[in-house]
Amino acid sequence: MLFVALLVPPLLAAALAGAVRRYRSFVGRTGVALAVVSLVAAVGLARTIVEGGDPPTFGPGEMLRADALSAVASLLVAFATVVVLALGPGLGSAREYSRAKLRRYHIFMNLFSAVMLFAVTTNNVGFMWVAIEATTIVSALLIPLSLTKGSVEASWKYVLIGSVGIAIAFLGTVIAYFGYATLVGHEAHALNWTVLVASASKLKPEVLRFSFALILVGYGTKAGLAPMHTWKPDAYGEAPAPLASLMSSALFVVAMYAIIRWKVVVDTASSDGFSDALVLGLGVLSLGLGALSVVIQRNYKRMLAYSSVEHAGLICIGLALGPLGAFAAILHLVNHTAAKSVMFLLAGDIERACGSPRIDDVRGLLRTMPWTGGLFAAVMLALLGSPPFGIFISELALFRACFVTGSYVVLAVTLVLLTVAFIAFIVHLNRMLYGSPATLDVAGDSPYWRIGVYLAVVAGLVILGISLPGPAMTLIKKTVEIIAV
Amino acid sequence: MLLWRRSLDSYAAAFTAQSAVMSAVTVVVGYYGGDHDLYVVAALFFLLKVILIPLILRRTRRRFGALREDSPYVNTATSLLVGGLLVLLSYAVTRPLVMLSDLPTRTGIPLAMGTVFIGLFVIISRKKALTQIIGFLVLENGIALLAILGTYGIPLIVELGVFLDVLMGFWVMQVFLYHIDQTFESIDVEKLNMLTEVTIRPVDGTVRREGV
Repeated sequence: MLFVALLVPPLLAAALAGAVRRYRSFVGRTGVALAVVSLVAAVGLARTIVEGGDPPTFGPGEMLRADALSAVASLLVAFATVVVLALGPGLGSAREYSRAKLRRYHIFMNLFSAVMLFAVTTNNVGFMWVAIEATTIVSALLIPLSLTKGSVEASWKYVLIGSVGIAIAFLGTVIAYFGYATLVGHEAHALNWTVLVASASKLKPEVLRFSFALILVGYGTKAGLAPMHTWKPDAYGEAPAPLASLMSSALFVVAMYAIIRWKVVVDTASSDGFSDALVLGLGVLSLGLGALSVVIQRNYKRMLAYSSVEHAGLICIGLALGPLGAFAAILHLVNHTAAKSVMFLLAGDIERACGSPRIDDVRGLLRTMPWTGGLFAAVMLALLGSPPFGIFISELALFRACFVTGSYVVLAVTLVLLTVAFIAFIVHLNRMLYGSPATLDVAGDSPYWRIGVYLAVVAGLVILGISLPGPAMTLIKKTVEIIAV
Repeated sequence: MLLWRRSLDSYAAAFTAQSAVMSAVTVVVGYYGGDHDLYVVAALFFLLKVILIPLILRRTRRRFGALREDSPYVNTATSLLVGGLLVLLSYAVTRPLVMLSDLPTRTGIPLAMGTVFIGLFVIISRKKALTQIIGFLVLENGIALLAILGTYGIPLIVELGVFLDVLMGFWVMQVFLYHIDQTFESIDVEKLNMLTEVTIRPVDGTVRREGV
């Protein structure tokens, strides 16, 4: 039942948006309401897990299955969808896009959400691949919502790099299945994650290693891990703000989820630290490239894209450092998703008001748009890991994991790179917030209800930073039990 | 073919021929492996990659006229050399897989991997967006071939999802091809170079270059 309530609402919303030929604002409002239903269902799944029940399953051959990891991921995806749809175009009175474009937007945003939710709740790694490939297709169609040279270029790069990356992940999946079919035999449910993990000890580690390397490159492309991150600044910079928000929060969760699932399979097959080394290497590289690229940014949306690369790196480093590191990684994933769900929306509001994505053109934000500017600064500080926000805690947890596992070099490198990123972001932020405004005809703050939604998310970030609620703690601990084998 | 011919017509023809051979291989494997699901896969494969996609490619050709890949990043001689090396490389990387398998089709695994590599190489080294699409399709063919030769096919239901994705992905790429042609008046991906770290583009669309 919960699975139906989780997956069907976004499909209904997409169907409704498709059925109403001329877009009306009730379509968008119904979409938000349906997304809330999804979120409630995700909370329901999480509750089942927290109360100690077995992972719920659904469909023939346990096609859908939600353990703690799926529950966390579907919570994050559903949450980001609600926030982004509520703050997206087509709800208020602003006429930013034509009706035809709004119709297209609402169809594909909801489909996007539906395939992401399916990807994190299916038990079959083949279907997971199909769903993740589908995310590329539906999201790529929305990047050129306003047809400009920049958006066309960004969407072409995104769809080509994304499709090739995901094809490589499929190659990895096929090779893993090859390993299974050769040793265990042909079986219909062999691509079920539970079956793979259960028989992982029988599989040849060298085949699984080969396949994991390909899968990490493939899904790492979707997650935007360096050096496969090149599509990210282009796509995030050119996509409509709500889509960039959903991609940097929910889609990122889905890609990391896929990597984690496969990492568990490889780690079960052999505990020689192969997957840890690989993930750690990509993590440090992403952190470094992300942090250093921020320094030279002149466009604040691209700057935020590099912040995503940097955080992807931090999460990978955590995943490589045993149970404590896995805890830090999942906590970081939660915090990062909450922050990024509004970050690009705020950037979009600023761009719309100031008419430019250049840092130099938006000086004096605190004077022209005090609320939006203040919120932008707050979420930015949260992303930089300053207290009292949640990322401060997850970064501390990561440092602790470094100490406990004796990875002092990793710790030192991480600290240096985080400092570089911190200084670079603060310099850019200062230029945006203070100084005399470049132009005086700035539209001013958004309506109060929008500010209210933003404030609620920021409040959530503070709560995550001060004390993690008990059920959330239990859920993350149960997730860590799955990841750290 | 993909490596030495220049006109896009011959690329499309090469892809169609490759796909036809692949559906034949699938039928043969299905017959000897006694797996009837593979007949369905072969039929779909034929429908999708021998009839439907080439049909769309021909329509695209009418839209853009006879296109030629006039100056790829890598010239013909080097391309052929690289192609040969890639096949050698695929023999090297698939050695552990071949040694592990006891299927009669195992000797085909390196060739499937070679197809994957060549698809990748075509995507990297060619300039026309349409050629890159064909490179991507060849890459997909290679993976499908690997699945058939290495494992006698992945479960049918997953295979159906994969077909759907390939078709959708191809369709989206076609849509973007028209977008690119509309906004850039060319389908040369070399022209897609505005989004870099040194170029700042204000919303009015004019390009201002600033040194860093």
